[in-house]
Amino acid sequence: MATQLNPLFNASLSLGDLGIVESVSKCIEPKLDELRGKRIVFSCDDKKMIPIDGWGMRSSPHSTTTVTTIRPIKENALVAAIDSSSVKLAETEEGSLYGTKCGIATACAGRALMHFRIGPVLFYLSESSIHDSELEERLARLVLLDDDFANRLIRVRTERAVQKELASHFTNSIILVDGSLKASVFEDRERGIGKIAESCVLRKNMLIGISKGTNLKVLNRAAAPLTKVPVPAYIEVDLIIRSLIRNTVGSNSMVKLEKSSTVLRADIVGDRSKSLGMLLGNDPVAAGYPETLRLAHHISTFTSTEITCLRSHVLNSYGVTELAADDIRRTLLGSISV
Amino acid sequence: MKILSKSRNELLLLAMKDDTASKGDYLLIEDRSRNMIVQVYDEEYLSSQALVEDIVKEEVVNASSVENLHDPLNIGSLSRLVRDARIFRAKIRASVKDGELSSDITWLPSRVESKIRRLAMKELDSFVGRRGIFPIPLGRTGDGEEFEIYAEDMDGKLTIITGKKESGKSHLSKILVKTLVQHGAFVVVFDLNNEYSGLGWNSDGTPSSLHRHVKVLEPGKTLMFSLDYCGKGAISGMLKNALDMPAASLREFFRIWDWLENKKSLSIDAIGNAVNTWNINELVRDALVSRYHVMQSSRLFADSGLQFEDVISAGSGGAALVINMGELSPTVRRMVVELVLSKVVDLLERQVIPPIFLFAEEAHLYIRDTYWEDIITRMRHFGIYTTFITNQPDAISDAIYRQVDNIFLFNFTNDGDLDKISKVSLADNDTVRSIVRTLPQRHCLAIGKAVYDLPVVIRVATAEVLMLGETKKFFKK
Repeated sequence: MATQLNPLFNASLSLGDLGIVESVSKCIEPKLDELRGKRIVFSCDDKKMIPIDGWGMRSSPHSTTTVTTIRPIKENALVAAIDSSSVKLAETEEGSLYGTKCGIATACAGRALMHFRIGPVLFYLSESSIHDSELEERLARLVLLDDDFANRLIRVRTERAVQKELASHFTNSIILVDGSLKASVFEDRERGIGKIAESCVLRKNMLIGISKGTNLKVLNRAAAPLTKVPVPAYIEVDLIIRSLIRNTVGSNSMVKLEKSSTVLRADIVGDRSKSLGMLLGNDPVAAGYPETLRLAHHISTFTSTEITCLRSHVLNSYGVTELAADDIRRTLLGSISV
Repeated sequence: MKILSKSRNELLLLAMKDDTASKGDYLLIEDRSRNMIVQVYDEEYLSSQALVEDIVKEEVVNASSVENLHDPLNIGSLSRLVRDARIFRAKIRASVKDGELSSDITWLPSRVESKIRRLAMKELDSFVGRRGIFPIPLGRTGDGEEFEIYAEDMDGKLTIITGKKESGKSHLSKILVKTLVQHGAFVVVFDLNNEYSGLGWNSDGTPSSLHRHVKVLEPGKTLMFSLDYCGKGAISGMLKNALDMPAASLREFFRIWDWLENKKSLSIDAIGNAVNTWNINELVRDALVSRYHVMQSSRLFADSGLQFEDVISAGSGGAALVINMGELSPTVRRMVVELVLSKVVDLLERQVIPPIFLFAEEAHLYIRDTYWEDIITRMRHFGIYTTFITNQPDAISDAIYRQVDNIFLFNFTNDGDLDKISKVSLADNDTVRSIVRTLPQRHCLAIGKAVYDLPVVIRVATAEVLMLGETKKFFKK
């Protein structure tokens, strides 16, 4: 029987008496005995940390161990990489204001050609704008409530719009996408990844989605043999991906684009070997990552100056009134500077 | 422009691309009924780590591939504005309340309400009440406004003109000499480079308006004195200070002098004969003989010679006595300066001549520091108002700097010179260091009583007179 305590009259309260310690230790089984002897990588904030030499040779039971080397194909083709970013700029009682930027970087025959910087463009997400977005109702409400969802909505729609146009206008080109080729709930029906892949096939374009990191640890294990190969190579991981994720497009591989570089996940619409060979033949690769995709990332990110300028633009152009605001966490929790 | 922050007597002002102000410009901060006068002394970029990273990133990206921009909100131009934003560092000089200048700078102007605008020199003069009867136009301010000081501000004052070689010191000095003479003043110039004789001529070779007021004196030719006119005092000073004659020898010399004076046969030749025949210790004789030969070879002494009072009375309406010392040996230079100063002091004491302005180029080359200190301390009471012109600020002792009334600072880039000048000048260290380091040729920072202790940057006007003293070169352009 639980001890009856009256905190007002008993000054010697202990956690043991309250049963909190026991309760917390049993809320999830700690299983710390299983940690013993393991190799670990410590986490650092929200960054994705990976072991430099991979997790080792322990293979996944699902993976094939066929490592295919990639030979650069010296056949000129345009590589166009797309990336975007979005930030929440302001909030009103009814909605939120977001800014987005998109970058397209192109290369051919191993040399950077030109890049396009699109934006910043502003989006005000309120009930009415979400209503027009054809999102499913529960998702729409989530977007209004959660900034991460809203940012993803904006990024997915912006990128898909650009990808669709490139896929419909280019021929025999490589379209590089940051991230996996997976249908998103935020996509516009007309500009979904499926439609983009379809356009690519029709116009003989190759669509490659490259993911820098994956949460699927099994993929890292499957890619372990790649770390020992001294040349660019890939391993097919279609079976693993399809057993875990629905709605992906194209074939799935783990690739290493340079000797001793990081292993990346690549989803490819088109012939796998030819696409990767053409990519290596036309896009300069540095530190195991395509330069066009790197450049697209850099030109699409917001700088603090741009955010300051966007605020100034909003204040000057839309007749809004800025209210004094405070960081609620800081106000409530305080800060202890060390 | 907007006020960003204040630290001690300094304001940081945020300036966008179209806000212009140069180092040395005065700004008026208008805040309701009160105004504050500040002076810009430095300009820098608005800089933050993020801004620097943005600029570097953009340059790297643009260097790697050609950019094609679609910026519907034109945020890029705003961003460029931010990158071009500057910070003006300004010193608070005074405040103005109800049109009256006040030293009360204990209040802070509003960052939100204040309006900042350039202050014209005429407005500043009206606040300060700077006016006079005898103007000396020096040139223009940064705004292009004409700027003048008044001869009254040099009257009874000690002035220093300093700056590195070929920065325009002599140019300004000539403008001062010329205008002082035009206002009727008497000016003695110790001209080390034989360049002031050009004051009598226009740059096109025709005689200038001062032609008849400029008297060029060549020691040994047009500048000679009779021993009688010099008197025992001046000769004694010359022997002691310029020729380092020991006291015992000096006593013998004046015994000879008195003997010859009584015989009414005092002359340089008579002194020579007497020294050789005088019954004295041989060491003393050697000392006297060596000094006698220096005096004789200097050709400064003759039976009749220049009389300052005659020159001054002849030059009613001002005169410049330019003593060319460029080709003299250091010893003769010292003798000339000693004789001239002693005689002028004598005449001033007896009120035979009016006060004079003395311009001394690189004075450390012909008179010892301690002697100058004495001159500065005593001579202003007699009526000799000195202007030193030098490119070695450390050649002037701190004791002289402590008595200085006006300083005209030309460009210095050497840290040692800047250290010296910023320590002893009449303006704050920051202003002097920042402004003087970047002054272009013929621009100077005027500090002191002539500008009512409000430092002003002046672009010195082109002189109409013939500019001499240029370096003689082997390779002609």
